Amino acid sequence: VSKRWLPWAGAALGLLVLALAPTYLLLESEQRTLGSVFMFVVLAQGWNMIGGFTGYPSFGNAVFFGLGGYTTAVLMAKAGANFWVTVPAAAAVGAGFAVLMGIPILRLRGHYFAVATLGVAEGMREGVINLPGLTGGNKGMTIPAVGAEATTSYPGNTGFYFYFLGLAVIATLAVWGVAHSRFGYALRAISQDEDAAAAAGINTTRAKIAAFAVTGVLTSLAGALFAFQQVTIYPTRMFAVDITVLAVVMAVLGGSGTVFGPVVGAVSLQYLSEWLRNNLTDYHTFVFGGIIVIAVMILPMGIVNFTRDAWRERRFGLLDSVRAYRL
Amino acid sequence: VTQFVQATVYGLLEGGLLALVAVGFSLVWGVMNIVNLAQGSFVVVGAYIAWKLNTEAGLDPYLGGLVAAVALFGAGYAVQRLLINQVVNAPIWMTLLLTFGLDLVIVNLLILLFTADFRAINTSWASDSLGIGDVRVPYGRLAGFALAVVMTVGLVLFMARTRIGLAIRSTGMDRAAARLMGMNVRHVYAFTFGIAAAMAGMAGAILGTINTFSPSAAAGYTLQSFVIAVLGGLGNMWGALAGGLVLGLVQSWGGQYLSGTMVNAIAFAVLVLVLIVRPSGLIGRPYYEARAEA
Repeated sequence: VSKRWLPWAGAALGLLVLALAPTYLLLESEQRTLGSVFMFVVLAQGWNMIGGFTGYPSFGNAVFFGLGGYTTAVLMAKAGANFWVTVPAAAAVGAGFAVLMGIPILRLRGHYFAVATLGVAEGMREGVINLPGLTGGNKGMTIPAVGAEATTSYPGNTGFYFYFLGLAVIATLAVWGVAHSRFGYALRAISQDEDAAAAAGINTTRAKIAAFAVTGVLTSLAGALFAFQQVTIYPTRMFAVDITVLAVVMAVLGGSGTVFGPVVGAVSLQYLSEWLRNNLTDYHTFVFGGIIVIAVMILPMGIVNFTRDAWRERRFGLLDSVRAYRL
Repeated sequence: VTQFVQATVYGLLEGGLLALVAVGFSLVWGVMNIVNLAQGSFVVVGAYIAWKLNTEAGLDPYLGGLVAAVALFGAGYAVQRLLINQVVNAPIWMTLLLTFGLDLVIVNLLILLFTADFRAINTSWASDSLGIGDVRVPYGRLAGFALAVVMTVGLVLFMARTRIGLAIRSTGMDRAAARLMGMNVRHVYAFTFGIAAAMAGMAGAILGTINTFSPSAAAGYTLQSFVIAVLGGLGNMWGALAGGLVLGLVQSWGGQYLSGTMVNAIAFAVLVLVLIVRPSGLIGRPYYEARAEA
């Protein structure tokens, strides 16, 4: 008997629990925490598309996050637009910028690509800081969320819980769809050997740019929601390197290039991070850095891949995992 | 005109120090294909060591810098040997994550130990300056610049003339072949990383005498190293020196005529442009062209 329906049933059951949880199980503060967990699921899946599947390690995904957030903020504050009008606008900006930036930069490989994306993100932050007329510059800008100027009623913690949950589900389904499509095979082929992929008839440039556009859309949508949730946003926060790096850490430690790895990584690391923040106030970043180092050393192939191998071989090869990539 | 000349002088003097920070970064990237995101934190550690020795024991910051260089060589060697070597063959973002984690650990350890306050190393001579016409050249900056250039040139000679330098270069060109020739690649890698850390530590000590510093300065030095290494071409040490001087000039001129953060925007724009147009760097060909993985 085929048991292929089991994971789907499990996922559906899990979603049902998550959908009912705010009403029956969770405090407001817990909903807020979970909302940020879901947001990082989206960001990790966004990175997974370009970094995990395509093998192009972007270190500048914060540029999409920031652009999405500022698109929403500027449209709501300056043009009086409804939040739901700004969401597709943010997605369009994310996709458009990914294509514009991807055409020259996706020609670079390896570290060169990583550094170029980082440079774009940092440069964009400085650009936004230097446009105070539009963005408020370093002082930040505030979205009208209450009172007569508010264009959209503020959803509160429970509202954002559901929005981020919905976006995380969409992101994961999108990655699942890509992973099982011809497009996904093209991306994996590029990641393994780009020249061979091109020789096999894949239009690598188009595939890479399409993957980057998906990354841009997912990440800018998360940025749009985050901006509205924060109400007041700052360039240093929206374009922070931390946003990018956390997404990478989560995707990689969960298992980059897998569908559920980024979910596992985002949930475990964001919870860990929150716990550290609450319990080790003064040195939580110190401990968090140490945990990243240890995790990279112990599970370089990611939790999902490690668990799958351990399950298939009926062997808990932690030492092999540590030794997998050593010199 | 005086203002312009003054800015040029300051830019060049600062650029020499930036080159000293970046030359090790560039070497590590070129030889091992590792982007060390913790480079800036090594600089700050060097500054703190020199500062501590200066305030507690009255040691001259340049001598303190020597102590810092030795200590950081040891620390860098250990980090590469014990940590980075273990994941060197993993996809490249693993080493990026590893060094990012290290950077978090080091910067936050410094904050715990020394708080996030700004510090400066005070010397009796640093504020005196040489006057050429209306242009002031502070002795502290001049001496720091001279030392930085001497050390960078020294590293070039070291790489060109010594056995270990040859080992580093050949490992960077073809690791598998180097191994077959009987080289201990683990040791060579660790030694290279140690050199990079030592140079950064010395640079930190000198920078501490002319600028204020705090743990949060680390990220800025890392980003500047990126720009310089890319401008100069990876692993190309003359390129790093030239790139440092160029960046120093651009930042200094920009600081004169543009608002503060616009300079950074320009630096990043230049970085991305150079990467797109000429990824092998502005100067000459890349030091290491062949790259075989083993």
